[in-house]
Amino acid sequence: MAVCIAVIAKENYPLYIRSVPSQNELKFHYTVHTSLDVVEEKVSAVGKSLADQRELYLGLLYPTEDYKVYGYVTNSKVKFVIVVDSSNTSLRDNEIRSMFRKLHNSFTDVMCNPFYNPGDPILSKAFNGIVSGMMVQTS
Amino acid sequence: MSVPDYMQCAEDHQTVLVVVQPVGIVPEDQFFKIYKRIASVSQVSIRDSQRLLYIRYRHHYLPENNEWGDFQTHRKVVGLVCITTCGAAKDWPQTAERFHGQKEVYSSTLYDSRLLVFGLQGEIAEQQRTDVAFYPSFEECADVERRVEDFVESIFIVLESKRLDRATDKSGDKIQLLCVPFEKKDFVGLDTDSRHYKKRCQGRMRKHVGDLCLQAGMLQDALVHYHMAVELLRAVNDFLWLGAALEGLCSASVIFHYPGGTAGKTAARKPSISQPADASKRHRPGALTANGISADTSTEIGRAKNCLSPEDIIDKYKEAISYYGKYKNAGVIELEACVKAVRVLAIQKRAREASEFLQNAVYINLGQLSEEEKIQRYSILSELYELIGFHRKSAFFKRVAAMQCVAPTIPEPGWRACYKLLLETLPGYSLSLDPKDFSKGSHRGWAAVQMRLLHELVYASRRMGNPGLSVRHLSFLLQTMLDFLSDQEKKEVTQSLENYTSKCPGGMEVITLSDGLKLPPVPFTKLPIVRSVKLLNLPASLRPHKVKCLLEQNVSTASPFIYSPIIMHNRGEERCKKIDFQWVQGDVCEVQLMVYNPMPYELRVENMGLLTSGVEFESLPAALSLPAESGLYPVTLVGVPRTAGNITVNGYHTSVFGVSSDCLLEGLPSVKTSGCLVEVIPSLPRLQLSTSLPRSAHTPQPMSKEQLSSSVSVQLFNGEEQQLTITLENIGSEDIESLELTSKTVNTKDKVFGRFLSWDLEEALRHLPLKPGQTVTLSISIKVKLDFSGQENLLPDLNDDGISVTGLPISSPLRQLLKPRAENKAVSSESGKAEYSHIKTLEAVLNFKYTGGAGKVEGYYRELSLGVHVDVEPSVFFTRVSTLPATSTRQCHLLLDIFNPTEHELTVSAKNSKDLVLHPSECQRLAIQVDKFDFESLPQLYQEPASFSSPKQLEEERQHAQGCQINSKLDICWSIISLQKASVEGALNQLVLEHMQLAPLQWDVLVNGKPCDCDVVADCKAGDAVTLEVKLTNLSKNAVGPLTLTVMPYQDFQNGVQNYDLDEAVAFVGSNTFFIDTVKPKESSVCEGALLFLYTGDFYLNMKVQDDSTPRELPLAWFTLPCVHIRALDTPLQAGA
Repeated sequence: MAVCIAVIAKENYPLYIRSVPSQNELKFHYTVHTSLDVVEEKVSAVGKSLADQRELYLGLLYPTEDYKVYGYVTNSKVKFVIVVDSSNTSLRDNEIRSMFRKLHNSFTDVMCNPFYNPGDPILSKAFNGIVSGMMVQTS
Repeated sequence: MSVPDYMQCAEDHQTVLVVVQPVGIVPEDQFFKIYKRIASVSQVSIRDSQRLLYIRYRHHYLPENNEWGDFQTHRKVVGLVCITTCGAAKDWPQTAERFHGQKEVYSSTLYDSRLLVFGLQGEIAEQQRTDVAFYPSFEECADVERRVEDFVESIFIVLESKRLDRATDKSGDKIQLLCVPFEKKDFVGLDTDSRHYKKRCQGRMRKHVGDLCLQAGMLQDALVHYHMAVELLRAVNDFLWLGAALEGLCSASVIFHYPGGTAGKTAARKPSISQPADASKRHRPGALTANGISADTSTEIGRAKNCLSPEDIIDKYKEAISYYGKYKNAGVIELEACVKAVRVLAIQKRAREASEFLQNAVYINLGQLSEEEKIQRYSILSELYELIGFHRKSAFFKRVAAMQCVAPTIPEPGWRACYKLLLETLPGYSLSLDPKDFSKGSHRGWAAVQMRLLHELVYASRRMGNPGLSVRHLSFLLQTMLDFLSDQEKKEVTQSLENYTSKCPGGMEVITLSDGLKLPPVPFTKLPIVRSVKLLNLPASLRPHKVKCLLEQNVSTASPFIYSPIIMHNRGEERCKKIDFQWVQGDVCEVQLMVYNPMPYELRVENMGLLTSGVEFESLPAALSLPAESGLYPVTLVGVPRTAGNITVNGYHTSVFGVSSDCLLEGLPSVKTSGCLVEVIPSLPRLQLSTSLPRSAHTPQPMSKEQLSSSVSVQLFNGEEQQLTITLENIGSEDIESLELTSKTVNTKDKVFGRFLSWDLEEALRHLPLKPGQTVTLSISIKVKLDFSGQENLLPDLNDDGISVTGLPISSPLRQLLKPRAENKAVSSESGKAEYSHIKTLEAVLNFKYTGGAGKVEGYYRELSLGVHVDVEPSVFFTRVSTLPATSTRQCHLLLDIFNPTEHELTVSAKNSKDLVLHPSECQRLAIQVDKFDFESLPQLYQEPASFSSPKQLEEERQHAQGCQINSKLDICWSIISLQKASVEGALNQLVLEHMQLAPLQWDVLVNGKPCDCDVVADCKAGDAVTLEVKLTNLSKNAVGPLTLTVMPYQDFQNGVQNYDLDEAVAFVGSNTFFIDTVKPKESSVCEGALLFLYTGDFYLNMKVQDDSTPRELPLAWFTLPCVHIRALDTPLQAGA
């Protein structure tokens, strides 16, 4: 499944980023960071055509040699980015979509926490658990 | 063809390539000057036609690339301009030879060439050649441009002829097969007669003609040819050329759609690639300009038909690129096509599709690239990403390029280039090098990525050999990323920072890089973190006080409202708010900071001082060492203002890890402060005080400890007097010009009799002005006189002794309350255990007000306070006071029961009485004969109505005066052998007052006109009438009377028998009873009578007064008249008879 999951604030700084521990974390930071260009581009394109606004899933942002980067933008412009291994061909678009939906639900729970300040890094254990579930199992 | 030209853009397809090269020895700067002038001729309008010819100049072009000229004609070098110097005619042949040699390189494609010769003096024998121009020097070559234009025109003629030649060639049966270098061997032995081959030849030629048409400025024709070529080539599956035809079609369409060009500014960026500087200004045909429209309308219609729509352009580009992709050797072409497509997409603002092209470009393998080429490639990718607005991607590739500059495989890493590239990536990572941008709130950004970048900047700058830069970057890293560094990283960063600063200490100056980028200083506001800044007042003894001025009172209220619930201040205002105390010039002033250390280890802060403005301020830096993860830690920074005025504390400076930083408070919104502006007043002298008595820790209650500069304590017996010598030293730098001393008794419920503290300041004042370093001594006497009579437990009941005493027992409400006696005893035994409970405490504060120097002029003074703490032990008690009347009404006997509560032997002495020795805890009676007082006759000194407002005060003052008189009369003193003699006053005063006061009704008895009192014997002659005059003077406040005065003579037989039956012996002349009418205050009444003593003898007159007024309230004592003793003597006459 996913090798890196990131939540990025409206102002494009990371609220949460977690990657498979075995690999170079910084690389994923770079990957997610550069993917924001595409996200922004897609979001601004969506803005132009209002009809399409309800679709939060941005689809494949860009493929790299090893990974595929998928994006999702909430209505409050919080971005979710999921990086999956390119070799993992079993993943369908629908599965990615459901992962994002799950992530979004969990994120909504985090935001509902009265002790959470919007804009702070997400430290929620529940959220972490959801993410862990989506990350690839090293088995 | 291995070197791609990343600067290519679609419109380059319509240009002709001219190479400008130096031949022989040409100074580089001169060459480029000429090159620039040549390059300015980038488009030439051809005579007799409305076409424009575009020229692309290169000063360097690989012949290898030239070989692809047939494939895309704009890659073909068609013109050569050589620049050379030739000093003398004799060198000319050699120069010409070189020129020809240069021509050989591009000979296969060259249409025409020119040689520009500079610096030739004299004439050339050779005949005039059209392709050579001579100029005397690099400066005198005005017609270079014109010559280039001529040259371009000649190129055009060749181009046009070729175009026409090829275009009309199709009727010929044999068409030459154009091919790219790598194809050549593939076609060896191919059947040249096949239809397939012919079609291929046709298609390729058609495409070639299209290229030529495009170059020759015939866009319409080009489009037609390209379309035909596409059809032909598609049929024969000649993909490479199909791609080229498609690309040509795209280029032509782009030229049509975007006359402004697609290269944008990026084309002009790299001078090494030598795109003409004014490329973007080029005018394009096909645009709806006067130029284009003026052509016949048929072409216009045709254009619209053949031209691709913007969407189609991209599709065709995609197709072309996919065809190129089939050929490994066409990588450069593919890459360039991608770049061109991206530029077109950028114009169309279709960033996402552009990014797909770029993504594809990334994967195009060009075989083994040199490091420099890699750098170039990454840089260009970065630039293209920037172009389509993908700043992050751009930054990523720029960083990759930077890393490539210093790849380990490069023998000489270009750290400088790497650093420069890294700096360019900063905006992409939303990182600015100004720490001010980070001070607002919490950090928002990609910390991990940014930290990496900063680390790389640090490393690059260090390898560049600029430790100052690395210190700056490392400081920045530490300051801004502190929250994201792990403990281990913190340690590492600080260690390397210390290493760097040992070579190059970090400062606050702005570092300006060679390209003009300014690196602002990085103050370490987080090392340590300052939470609050508080300016401290001077210690109480040094605080300046303003001489009171009535006008001063209402200065501070700026608001017209007395009170408003709305507080209008904000933080900023609070900062500049003036603090309501003053600092003094030349005195050490303190500012307290609350700091804490966020580091996981001990933080050493050196040279921590204040930053101020306003007045000259000498900051005395402090060094501190904060423990790891310390809590709030108070730090006091000190300094000395050197001039007077308003001082503002702007911030503080520190030196941490060898980096000195100036932290300004305005940049630190999290710092709490209660104002930073304070007034500095001119210098004042300083006084130091030392005393002869030991210091004590006692402080009088209402004063706080800091208000007192020092305090002394002494233990005294009641009534004892002690001298306190105070030495005042001027330890300041100003003369003390005036000195005042006041005292205030504080915290006492007991009434103090007499002056507690007394002094004579005159002697000290004589030493003024007191120069710095000088001292003056002052002697103060401490005298305690307290009333201990309330201390019941110390009063043994004298009644137990069986001594009967007449008169009033000293009683207090307390005493009455404590009865019955049994209880009283119990209390006394209990309190006896609490040894010092009976000690009374007196406290006072001595205030020295002094001033001098410049501060005095401004009206300031200083106060030095000395607390005096006296524990008073009881000395003698007067347990009971009574009086016995003396023989005279004007005198009385005072009986005092004196108790010695001390542990010493006491000697009590009084006037007119012998000393009385009292052993510890002994009680004895002392009798003193004293004159009664007439208090009314006291001097009215203290009774000025102005000085005492309340009647109570008046009364007190009166009593005090009375007390003084009593004391002087009685002069009761006690002494303990070891101690000095001391007097007791006070306690006695009130008690004895009543007894010792003369009655307000004063009776004067005159016998024979002579005043007569108890002990005076009035002589008279028997038989003579003795006049008796009784005068009543009313000194009381009320009228008295009417009274009846009865005179009764009697004889005292001295054995207790008094004979009142003297009717025969004494005869009254008139009545023996007098009536005295009402006597008003201050008036007197006299009643006169006469007595006739018939016999000689001693007679007494008893006079009794009876008060006839209805309310008999006057005390009996008021009516005591003296007993008159009259001695009747024989008259000489009688004796004679």
